[in-house]
Amino acid sequence: MEHIVFGIGITALTGALATVAGAAEDTESNIGSQGDPNSQVQLAPQMGFLHRIFNKAVAGEPPAYGLWCALGCGLAWAFMAMQFNAVLAIVLGSVLAVFVQGVYATTAYVGRTASLSKFGQPVYVDILKSMTTVTMAHAFIAIFATVAICQLINGALGHPFPLPLLGLVWGIALGAAGSATGNPYYGKERQYQNQKFGAGVPISASGNIVRYAEAGERNSIDNGWFTAKIGGSASGICFGLIVFLELWRTILFEQVAAGWGAIVVGVLMILVFTVVDRYIEVWARKNYGPYTEAKEASS
Amino acid sequence: MSAVAAKPAAGSAMNPTAMAVGVVMFLILMGICFFVYPVGIMPLLLIVVGGVLIGFGVHFVPVGGAPAAMGQAPGIATGVAMLAAGGGLAGLFGGAWAAAAGQDPLVVVITGGIGGGLMMAITCMMVNFVYVFGMGIPAASGKVANDPITGDSQAEYKSQGTEGHGLPFVSFVGGVIGGLFAGAGGTLIYLELLEVYKAALPTVMQITAAQALPIAVSAAGMFAVGMFLVNAVLTAYNITGTIEGPHDPKFKRWPRSVVASAVASALCGLVAILIVAI
Repeated sequence: MEHIVFGIGITALTGALATVAGAAEDTESNIGSQGDPNSQVQLAPQMGFLHRIFNKAVAGEPPAYGLWCALGCGLAWAFMAMQFNAVLAIVLGSVLAVFVQGVYATTAYVGRTASLSKFGQPVYVDILKSMTTVTMAHAFIAIFATVAICQLINGALGHPFPLPLLGLVWGIALGAAGSATGNPYYGKERQYQNQKFGAGVPISASGNIVRYAEAGERNSIDNGWFTAKIGGSASGICFGLIVFLELWRTILFEQVAAGWGAIVVGVLMILVFTVVDRYIEVWARKNYGPYTEAKEASS
Repeated sequence: MSAVAAKPAAGSAMNPTAMAVGVVMFLILMGICFFVYPVGIMPLLLIVVGGVLIGFGVHFVPVGGAPAAMGQAPGIATGVAMLAAGGGLAGLFGGAWAAAAGQDPLVVVITGGIGGGLMMAITCMMVNFVYVFGMGIPAASGKVANDPITGDSQAEYKSQGTEGHGLPFVSFVGGVIGGLFAGAGGTLIYLELLEVYKAALPTVMQITAAQALPIAVSAAGMFAVGMFLVNAVLTAYNITGTIEGPHDPKFKRWPRSVVASAVASALCGLVAILIVAI
């Protein structure tokens, strides 16, 4: 019984850490335009719209976070092998991984933007200085939280995977959850704030991203501030739910009916999310209504 | 033939010669394993099954890529290989845990599948949550007039100048099925490699079974992750860009991907097995 209570406590802690990690990851990737909306940041100068948006997308979020979290976990594991305190080891591992992220962000921004020189897009040194440190700060929170999750899963819950492998697995899952949930909010709702609310961006508008703020030109810190409100928090909830529910069903039900208990609970949870998704879909159709008359659309 | 003269539909065509070459390569790789390390033939066959499950399963996952991030096309706004890897590796995590608890192999593989399906269910639900409550956009498919499962009409819910947006119900179901297949396939690869390493490593390294276990788990886990990415990326090339799910015409390309996944998994699996056989 004590073992189960301890497991549930650790599960709750990892769920909370995962929520923080997901929110920080999405905000970091939005400040760096690392998700799929980077295509518009790259396209805009080619269409004649020069901008001051940071763009460090030379890899997708999942492999990038897979690398940084595996690096953080590997270094933390090495420090722990050198008899460092676990908390200090996790912090040091995450800090060193963030330096790699900073080098990556710098070279990616300079490289991507320099490739647009023929369209007149400048490389802004002040943008490089101010944005890189902000993405590094957010990346530190995301990596630290993920490395801490992996240490708890490995050390406290006894998962057989070594710490660096757990970092790779959960880093990729973090990037996948964050990019899937957060990208549309940054891509449509922020970059195309000049388009109609409640509709997709017409393909003909591609490249015409919003470049001006309330005062002066918009930069990526403005974008991080905006997307943290819904895109970031939704990504946090998404990754938090994934980590929490995956651990919860295993801790509580793995020993029930020789493993079938966890499977049955997993199936039930999938069914619950299916019902919720269907409810959201039908709610939108009823409350927002069609864009055109059905007859006209089908003709 | 010049690029201009090439038929645009060539991307979905099956090439019988290439398929036959693929099958021959697969048989040669299995033959090598049979002669070099006969004990590894069954694990290699099951590794190939795992790879094929991943390759087939990825076709179900609704991936919208960059257009989905602007609400210009339906699907999840990220890459094919990345999303499948995220879901499948979450499944592998659960499966590996069940394997360590000493569960039956069938239970382990199904647990991995459910882990992948659960990750995809949560992600797909949150995608629709953001589209509907964050952006005020309903889900609409650009490939079918009516949702094949619910029968909901789609065309009038597409906003002007787009190919659709969000995840219609059939895409949600496709995502969950894709996660199930991918998670189960990744776990099967891990399980088979783990058994091979657990049996061979104590002899090869002259250590006890208890000492060999962490090495076996680590090596099997790394190879499973690597082979997962190989199969997911191969399938991404087969899909070429975006896919809405099982109702998308691109879904019919899966036989080509299955042959390619079988050959790639056989080669990777052979290398993974031979590190303890030679």
